[in-house]
Amino acid sequence: MSAPPAPAAGSDHGAVADPRAAHLEVRDLTIEYSSGGYIVRPIDHFHLDTRGGELVLLLGASGCGKTTLLSVLAGILTPSSGSVMVGDTQVVGLSGAALTQYRRRRVGIVFQAFNLLASLTASENVQIPLRGAGVRSRAARHRALELLGQVGLSDRVEHRPGDLSGGQQQRVAIARALAHDPPVLLADEPTAHLDYLQVDGVIRLLRRLADGGRLVIVATHDDRLVPLADRIVNLTPRRDTESRAPETVHLEPGEILFHQGDAGELVYIVETGTIDLVRTREDGTEERFTSVEPGGYFGELAPMFGLQRAATARAAAASTVTGYTVRDFRARHSGSVGQLLSGAVDVTEAV
Amino acid sequence: MWLISLRDLQWRRRRFIIAVLATGLVFGITLLLSGMNSGFGDEVNRTIAAFHADSWVVPRGAPGPFTTSAAFPSAVVSQVAHTAGVREADAMVVTRVTLAGATPLDAVVFGDTIGGIGPSATSGRNPRRSGELVADTKLGVGVGQVVTLGGRRFRVVGTYDGNTVFGGQPTAVMPIQDARAISFANQPLATSVVTRGLPASAPPGFKVQTPSQAAGDLKRPLKDATSTIGFLNVLLWIIAAGIIGSIVYLTVIERQRDFAVLKATGFSSIGLFVSLAIEAVVIALAAAVVASVMAIALHGSLALRVEISTGTYVGLAGISVVVGILASLVGLRRAVGVDPALAFG
Repeated sequence: MSAPPAPAAGSDHGAVADPRAAHLEVRDLTIEYSSGGYIVRPIDHFHLDTRGGELVLLLGASGCGKTTLLSVLAGILTPSSGSVMVGDTQVVGLSGAALTQYRRRRVGIVFQAFNLLASLTASENVQIPLRGAGVRSRAARHRALELLGQVGLSDRVEHRPGDLSGGQQQRVAIARALAHDPPVLLADEPTAHLDYLQVDGVIRLLRRLADGGRLVIVATHDDRLVPLADRIVNLTPRRDTESRAPETVHLEPGEILFHQGDAGELVYIVETGTIDLVRTREDGTEERFTSVEPGGYFGELAPMFGLQRAATARAAAASTVTGYTVRDFRARHSGSVGQLLSGAVDVTEAV
Repeated sequence: MWLISLRDLQWRRRRFIIAVLATGLVFGITLLLSGMNSGFGDEVNRTIAAFHADSWVVPRGAPGPFTTSAAFPSAVVSQVAHTAGVREADAMVVTRVTLAGATPLDAVVFGDTIGGIGPSATSGRNPRRSGELVADTKLGVGVGQVVTLGGRRFRVVGTYDGNTVFGGQPTAVMPIQDARAISFANQPLATSVVTRGLPASAPPGFKVQTPSQAAGDLKRPLKDATSTIGFLNVLLWIIAAGIIGSIVYLTVIERQRDFAVLKATGFSSIGLFVSLAIEAVVIALAAAVVASVMAIALHGSLALRVEISTGTYVGLAGISVVVGILASLVGLRRAVGVDPALAFG
């Protein structure tokens, strides 16, 4: 695979005319949606302030909300609350022609699975956003050839996606995203389907685009991109792997220990009382799926895997619980990870 | 839009060809059926015009000169001839006969006055005496042949073409006395009086029918057939729309990811619709071409006369465009409803 050529000196490759248009400001963004009948909140009161010329990594495990956040930034998904400003445009609330214009002119999107139209050649794939916006055939083709040249695919313009490698397809997808010269480029897992040789070319290309004044936001779980990023936003809740003193919490009846969707740091053992674990349904009602009595433990999944809490923990009666880091929990109570997950670890001595 | 549509058709060309052939077959049948309906109407107009008559006088209770069996004394002819407006009046007997042969063939006979009003031969000559006959080419006999009609032998002295009735039944012209011999045992009866010049009034118990009313009499027995063909045509158009709609809908289902990407990259819903409509219209127009070729190839080999005008072919193309657009509406809702977030999936 050939790496994309370096831009010539003085070239405007990737340069953005108005850096202010690449300014992104996300305020208090919360995204909730229904999944399997329950409310999921992958993004909860999220803030971000970044500008053109930066390569921002949204880093996190699968399911942490990276793609969901990108969808909101792209104007494809409407958040539950909060605001997203791109340049002087408030993205939340855009509709109709204004939304179409925003998607055309302000953001370019690179999808994880390339999403090129199989029936079109590389050149035609790049032309599509232009033709859809009413750009004449000759001008669209000229622009497509220019962009494909910039991503190092001048010799592949008439090839269909099926005749291109993964890396080449991804570069065509990047060229397509740049068709309208948007100030913001959003890339969803751009290295997910590439081997290490292909990854190199794509990473360099994204970096160069950011250096030209564009704001490049990359959602990924691939930490190979970390050294190239100007800013890293970790969307996976922090896992507390260090030892720390156990936390004992006293709860009154009805008091909540943690909410569904919260970041999870500790595994809790019930000392006294009863803890109900409840899930919120999409209609707002709650479903209690288990109660944990003294000697039982709960909340192990979130801290072990860096996930959000899958349920709300509420005291059914006056209760006392003690929270441990996963490391401390396992040190104090012998048991494999499998036993821990299946609730088979004996904690009675600790109670 | 053109680019996406045509490339997609190219990409799925096998399906496109199957859709075009299937739709073309349906369109072809509609063309042939339309041609049959036109043929019914045209044969009536041709046959009526062949008489060069201005009116027919028939008994008041008779539906018309061609379907009535009500006979009356031929003395009425002289009454009609003396009516104001009439330049010439002749008795006419219309009767049905069977041409004897290995496969008996039904025909309608016009018994006319020799040298009087009635259809003329376009090849050969008109009858000059009893025992002579002019036959429509569909009867399958040539000048000089001797045939047996209604148990009597006739020499064919002339032929004409296209003067059929009741959906392709051939006609023949013979002297009125021969027709009377076949139907009325030589009694001086007639079933109508045919005139040149429009009578100002009809004799008591009779009525005057213009050529268009006489044409209505010929068309009436075919009314059920023509309305059934019209209904079948509508059904076939619906089937054609269904085929195109199914193909478009299937394409939409398969291309949901494509549509999501297009929407995510700023394609408008109208753009998606136009793209789908172009595909449907191209299929429909290609099918219209296939149908036209099929109709041209087959129309001469059918037993019924099929008359397809240039206007019908042009009309087919126009209707195909409408059918294509209507069919693409089926997939439109689904295409427009595609969530652009699917592009991230």
